[in-house]
Amino acid sequence: MEAQRKFIVPIGPQHPALKEPGHFQFSVEGEIVTGATVRLGYVHRGIEKGAEARNWTQNLYLFERICGICSHVHATALALGAERLAGVEAPPRAQAIRTLMSELERIHSHMLWLGVAAHEGGFETLFMYSWRDREIVMDLLESLSGNRVNYSVNLIGGVKFDVTEKHHDEILKGIEILEERTKHYLKVVTTDRTFLARTRGVGLMTLQQAELFGAVGPTARASGVARDVRIDAPYEAYPQFPVRLVTDDGGDLLARFKVRTRELFESYRLIREILNHMPPGELTTRVPRRIPAGETISRVEAPRGELFYFIKSNGSEKPERIKVRTPSLCNWASVTQVAIGHKLADMPMILSGIDPCFSCNDRMVTINRGSSSQVWTWEELRRYGIEYYRQR
Amino acid sequence: MDTSTALEKAAAILQPWALATATPEPNRLDVVIERGSLIPAVKALVKARWGFFSALTGLDQPPSGDGEPVREGCVEVLYHFCSAAAVVTLRVSVPYSDAKIDSICEVIPSATLYERELIEMFGVECTGTPNTERLLLSDDWPEGVYPLRKSFTGFQQAEGQEANHGSAA
Amino acid sequence: MDGQAGSPWQQALDKVRDWARINSPWAIHYNSGSCNGCDIEIMATLTPRYDLERFGVKLQGSPRHADILIVTGPVTRLSRERLLRIYDQMPNPKFVIACGSCGLSGGAFRGCYNIVGDISEVIPVSVYIPGCPPRPEAIIYGVVQLLESLKRRNAPAVNLPRQEGAPA
Ligand code: SF4
Repeated sequence: MEAQRKFIVPIGPQHPALKEPGHFQFSVEGEIVTGATVRLGYVHRGIEKGAEARNWTQNLYLFERICGICSHVHATALALGAERLAGVEAPPRAQAIRTLMSELERIHSHMLWLGVAAHEGGFETLFMYSWRDREIVMDLLESLSGNRVNYSVNLIGGVKFDVTEKHHDEILKGIEILEERTKHYLKVVTTDRTFLARTRGVGLMTLQQAELFGAVGPTARASGVARDVRIDAPYEAYPQFPVRLVTDDGGDLLARFKVRTRELFESYRLIREILNHMPPGELTTRVPRRIPAGETISRVEAPRGELFYFIKSNGSEKPERIKVRTPSLCNWASVTQVAIGHKLADMPMILSGIDPCFSCNDRMVTINRGSSSQVWTWEELRRYGIEYYRQR
Repeated sequence: MDTSTALEKAAAILQPWALATATPEPNRLDVVIERGSLIPAVKALVKARWGFFSALTGLDQPPSGDGEPVREGCVEVLYHFCSAAAVVTLRVSVPYSDAKIDSICEVIPSATLYERELIEMFGVECTGTPNTERLLLSDDWPEGVYPLRKSFTGFQQAEGQEANHGSAA
Repeated sequence: MDGQAGSPWQQALDKVRDWARINSPWAIHYNSGSCNGCDIEIMATLTPRYDLERFGVKLQGSPRHADILIVTGPVTRLSRERLLRIYDQMPNPKFVIACGSCGLSGGAFRGCYNIVGDISEVIPVSVYIPGCPPRPEAIIYGVVQLLESLKRRNAPAVNLPRQEGAPA
């Protein structure tokens, strides 16, 4: 075929974490995707360089803003690394509060993803339901930290606020409602026939593939990879509050839905445990303004997978180098491989299956068909997918 | 396998190529290797199924010394492998004047994105990497300017000047 | 459109058009480099708790159907061109809402090498919504402010043609 049909699908500058917003380029033959590459950088802001011009405290603020969805884990990774370099450790209560926030954040992120992924598949009801219920956890986050997003929990050497009795009850009550709702969602994603038709066997990634492509987080765990930094290398208060690993052998979209939903239950359990065994004591410890020279590696489990920080300090007020490897970057690599052989109509679901922090229906999709080029929106691609399945 | 045995095992695997090793933190092992032994070392780790390739970091080390440079500027490329809590880092130095390194994509296909990033950010050529298209920087980004090199200080000055500044490295 | 400007026919038509626009503005959202904090809050305004759609505002995908462009984040080098393209594709009159402190001033990212600047350096902005990220209530307030000012026909609207090559 002379006129190669190339669909250029820039998933319009839409991913928060550092530089994820991708511009996908799909080559298709008829309906089947034969190749996929990714071009990132729409949201590349140069944070790693910017870090070298800011001091440690300013960086905490900056790095929290790498990603608005998983902001807390970014700041945590940086704070943990800086603390390790300085040879101090945040007090136990501060660690517990950090862990609590991490889990609350995971809940908000997973529910967000559940809604967005459902939306991509055309299940508007589930989207609206999960986002409605997500407001419960947003309220909790706000009452704790004062902000709905970018909570600024961390200081180097501690946290900024305490969890009071009032919060305690509030959170428990919120969690209870959420748990009920999550049971309902788990039932929907595992039993609804139309839903299963879009997810079962779609975007299959075997265990070998997941390891080869370096998938991380729930995406990897849905292919049976037993990997979770919270378990492998516990940080914060995870040693005291161990996490139970959630995996699934399915490897398809359904498994990814299941793993994330079941992780929600795990988070609820953890939060209850932390609240009931909150260690007493200080919230901060003293940290020198200059962080001693050295290098450290800080790994934490973000909602989307392993977050990797390499931090080098030269003993001044500013870091020498901070390297951030976000989980979605790993997962992009895997998704470009997995996409091959699937229908174009499945792309929205497969892409959102890795949870690349897509917001929603506003991405631009340029489609180059042979020589003629037309602009498609992500919305149109999504509709295309939904229509495609409706006709069958 | 606990962390220390994992590290011992990694040390044994990498021993043939190691120029120097260090344990900066209890859960870490740094192994300095020659540029030429990168592929065999990575292959050995993968073959032994030691952990997984987690990240690739570039570290710029500008020429040191005032006046007469004592050491030529180089980019240190760090390959991080993780196995549970243990982290092994392969450290390879490439000088500015010959900034080339072999691509590890044949062994670890998912490294392609990291290598594209390295190419753009540090101007280190990855020989044999499957895709060298721009990944992060815009298409109008001047050639020869590598933002994560220390010599790059931003576009505050006039663009042309800056380009010289960057490529002078 | 037939009928000269100022003719009764044209005036009536304008009125209808204004009425329609105010009651059902269509919006498009573009992320020009944000951290997604703002974007998820914009999404949240559309969902049941806040429900922006009760004001007739509909978020949809194509710039060619949009009256309002909601932009989040500082403008990165790569997204600048696309932002301009979206803006140019929108039919006149068009209004831009800059959402979040990044969009207002560059925020935390000001000075980073890949940032061109804030949104108003690239396209004219009608409404600024501060906050990092702005709460959904704030976003609704911002949109309503825009609609109100349209009603009063003194929109802070800047429907100026973009000056070629002005901001770089
Ligand atoms: S204003 Fe804040 S929340 Fe919004 S994009 Fe900027 S950093 Fe993110």
